[in-house]
Amino acid sequence: MEFISPELDYAALAPMIVVGVAAIISVLVEAFAPRSVRRFLQLVLVFTTLIGALVLVVLNSGMRVLTGGQSIALDGPAWIMQGTILILAILGGLLMAEGGVDPSGDAFAPRASALPGSEDERQFTIRGYLQTEVWPFLLFAVLGMMLFVASNDLLMMFIALEVMSLPLYLLAGMARRRRLLSQEAALKYFLLGAFSSAFFLFGAALIYGYSGSIAFGPISFAITTKAGENTLLLIGIAMLLVGLFFKIGAVPFHQWTPDVYQGAPTPVTGMMAATVKVAAFGALMRLLYVAFGGVRWDWEILLWIVAILSMLVGSIIAISQSDIKRMLAYSSIAQAGFILVGVVAASPQGLASVLFYLIAYGFTTIGAFAVISLVRNASGEATSIRDWAGLGKKSPLIAAIFSVFMLSLAGIPLTGGFIGKWGVFAAGVAAGDAWLVIVAVIASVIAAFFYVRVIVLMYFADPTPDTAAVVIPSGFTTVSLAAGATLTIALGIVPQPILDIIANAGVFIR
Amino acid sequence: MLKRPSITRGVPRAVNVYTPILVLGLLAFGFAAFSVILATFTGPKRYNRAKVDAYECGIEATPQPMGGGRFPVKYYLTAMMFIIFDIELVFLYPWAVAADQLEVFGLVAIVLFLVNLAVPYIYEWRRGGLEWD
Amino acid sequence: MNPANYVVLAAILFSLGAIGVLVRRNAIIVFMSVELMLNAANLAFVAFARMNGNLDGQVVAFFVMVVAAAEVVVGLAIIVTIFRTRKSASVDEPNLLKY
Repeated sequence: MEFISPELDYAALAPMIVVGVAAIISVLVEAFAPRSVRRFLQLVLVFTTLIGALVLVVLNSGMRVLTGGQSIALDGPAWIMQGTILILAILGGLLMAEGGVDPSGDAFAPRASALPGSEDERQFTIRGYLQTEVWPFLLFAVLGMMLFVASNDLLMMFIALEVMSLPLYLLAGMARRRRLLSQEAALKYFLLGAFSSAFFLFGAALIYGYSGSIAFGPISFAITTKAGENTLLLIGIAMLLVGLFFKIGAVPFHQWTPDVYQGAPTPVTGMMAATVKVAAFGALMRLLYVAFGGVRWDWEILLWIVAILSMLVGSIIAISQSDIKRMLAYSSIAQAGFILVGVVAASPQGLASVLFYLIAYGFTTIGAFAVISLVRNASGEATSIRDWAGLGKKSPLIAAIFSVFMLSLAGIPLTGGFIGKWGVFAAGVAAGDAWLVIVAVIASVIAAFFYVRVIVLMYFADPTPDTAAVVIPSGFTTVSLAAGATLTIALGIVPQPILDIIANAGVFIR
Repeated sequence: MLKRPSITRGVPRAVNVYTPILVLGLLAFGFAAFSVILATFTGPKRYNRAKVDAYECGIEATPQPMGGGRFPVKYYLTAMMFIIFDIELVFLYPWAVAADQLEVFGLVAIVLFLVNLAVPYIYEWRRGGLEWD
Repeated sequence: MNPANYVVLAAILFSLGAIGVLVRRNAIIVFMSVELMLNAANLAFVAFARMNGNLDGQVVAFFVMVVAAAEVVVGLAIIVTIFRTRKSASVDEPNLLKY
C-alpha cells in the first residue's frame, strides 16, 4: 500500500492556521495566566487573531486553490464567506466582551459548573469571577466555520461541522441569568445536534458506498458516469441534507432553534445566529453544486418543500410569539427559507444573491441581538415583547436603531435586507422557480407583520410601569451596534461595492 | 527512509521472524516488573478502604438504590480525560504503519498532534482537574 | 462473507439508534443511542471500503471515533451539569422553554 504525504498550500491555509493556533494558545492562557489578567489577555489575543485572520483572508482573496489532497477548496465564495464569518465573529465577540451591562459582570455565568442558586454561585458572583473559557470556545467555533465553508470532501465537512458545533453547544449553556433555561437550551441543542450529525455521517457513508470516494470531485464524476442504480446516492443525499438543514434551522429540522435562541446568552445567540447561517449555507451550496450538481433535478424538489415549509411555518408561528428572542428565532427560520430560494436556483446568480443575503442578514442579526442585550429590567434582559411598549418614547435612539434592523429583516427598501431579498427572488425567477418566489413574497408579507408590530409597539404604545430601560453599554457593544446599524443601511443604499466583490469572486472551483 | 532489519543468513527463518516479538515481550515484561518493583520501594504506603474495593475508582461495586445513588462528579472528569486520551492515541497506529513512507511530514504532523493533545492535559492539570479531593 | 451484509447490519444498527433517540427518556440513554448511530455509520464506512477496494472508508472510521469521543466529553459535561441541577437525567423534565 502506498501512502503519500498531502500537499498543503500553507499560504492559502494561513487564516485558518492563525485561528487554530490562537485557539490553542488561548487554552494555554486559561491554564497559566492568573485570574486577574486572563480576561485582558484573552481579549487581546482573540481580537488580534480575528483581525489578523481577516487581513490574511483579504490578502489571499485572489487565490483559487484546491489543497490538502483536494479536501479543502479555497475559492472566491470561500474567501467571501470566511471574511464574513470573521467580521461577524469580531462583532459577536465584541458583544461577548461587554462587561458593563449586567451589574454583576458579563453575560456568562461566573462558573458554569457551580449549581444555579447555590452558595458557591453566590460567592463566585460576589468575588466577580468571570468564565473566560468562552474565548477559546469562540476561536474554535470560528475555526470550524471557516473550515466548513471551505471543505471539499465529506470527511473534512463532518469534522468542520463538529469543530464548529461542539463549542457552540457549551456556549449556549453558560448564561449568567436564567441559568436553568440556558442549561436546558444546551442539552436540547446538543442532543438534537448530535442526532443530526449522525444522519449527516450515515449519508456520507452511503455516498461513499455509491461513488467509492469521499471527495466532491470524484463523487460528481461518479454521478455523471454511473448509470442506473442510484438508490444509495439519493438516500445519501437526503441524509446529508438532514444534517445541514438542521444547522441552518430549516423546517422540519427547526425545533431546536427557538429554544436555543431564547436560552443561550444573548451575545452568543447573536454571534451564533449570524455566523452559523453563513457557514452552514456555504457548506450546503458547495455540497449541492460541486458534488451533486449532476442530480440537481432530484434534490431540487427536497429544497422546494423545505424552503416553502420554512418560510410559511417560520413566518406564521413568529406572529404568536411573546418573547422577542423567540420571535427572532422563528424569523431566522423564515429567513432560512428565503435564502433557500436562492440556493435552489443553482445558478451563479443564485450563489451571488445568497452570499449578499447572508452578509446583510448577519449584520442585521448581530445588531438586533445587541439591542436586546441592552433592553433590561431588574431581573436581567427584558425579552418579553410587552415590556418593549413605549420604548420609542423612553429611548428614541435605541428604538430607532432596532426599527432599522426590523425593517431590514422585513425587506423594506433602503436596507440591506431589501437588496438581499430582491437578489434572491430575482435569481429564483430567472431559474424558472416563479411559483416558489410567489410563495416567498406571500411569506415576506406575513413576516413583515410581526416585524412592524414591534416597531408599532415601541412608538405608538404608551410606556407602562413595566417598560424596560435601556442600559448605556461600554465601548464594546457600542462599536458592534454601530457597525451593525451602519452596514445594514449602507448595504441598502450603496450595495454596489459588495455586489462587485461578490461578482468578482465567481463560483465554486471543482 | 528507514531500512527494515535484514534477515541474518544461517538462522532458520521462523526463529528470525519472531525474534522482534520475543524481544518486545521481554521488554514489556521487564518494564512492568521494573515499574512495580520501583513503586514498592519509592511509593507512599497508605492502606485504606478504597484500596481493597473491587474498583479502585471510589465507586461501590454494588450501587446505592436507584434515585438515591449518586456518582461523584470527580469520576466523570477522570472518565472524560480517559476517553479523550484513549481514543486520540488511535491515530498513532495508522501513522506507525505508514511512518517510513510519510517521512518528515508524517513525523511533524504526529508531533504537532501530540502537542495539541498535551494542551488540554496541561489545562486540566493547572485548573486542578487532577486533584482528587 | 458478502460485505453487503455488513451494510445491512449497519443500517439496522443506525435505525435502532435513531429509534432509541426518539423513544428513550433518559438523556444518557439518548446519548448512547446517538453513539450507536455514529458507530453504525463507521461500520458502513468500513464495509464500503472493503467493497470499493480503497482505504478512504477506514480513514474516515478513525476520525469518526475521535469525533465521537470529543462529543462524549462535551455531551457528558452538559448532561452532568443538568443532572446536578435537577437531580434527574430525564429529557422530559427540562421543559421551561416552550411556546
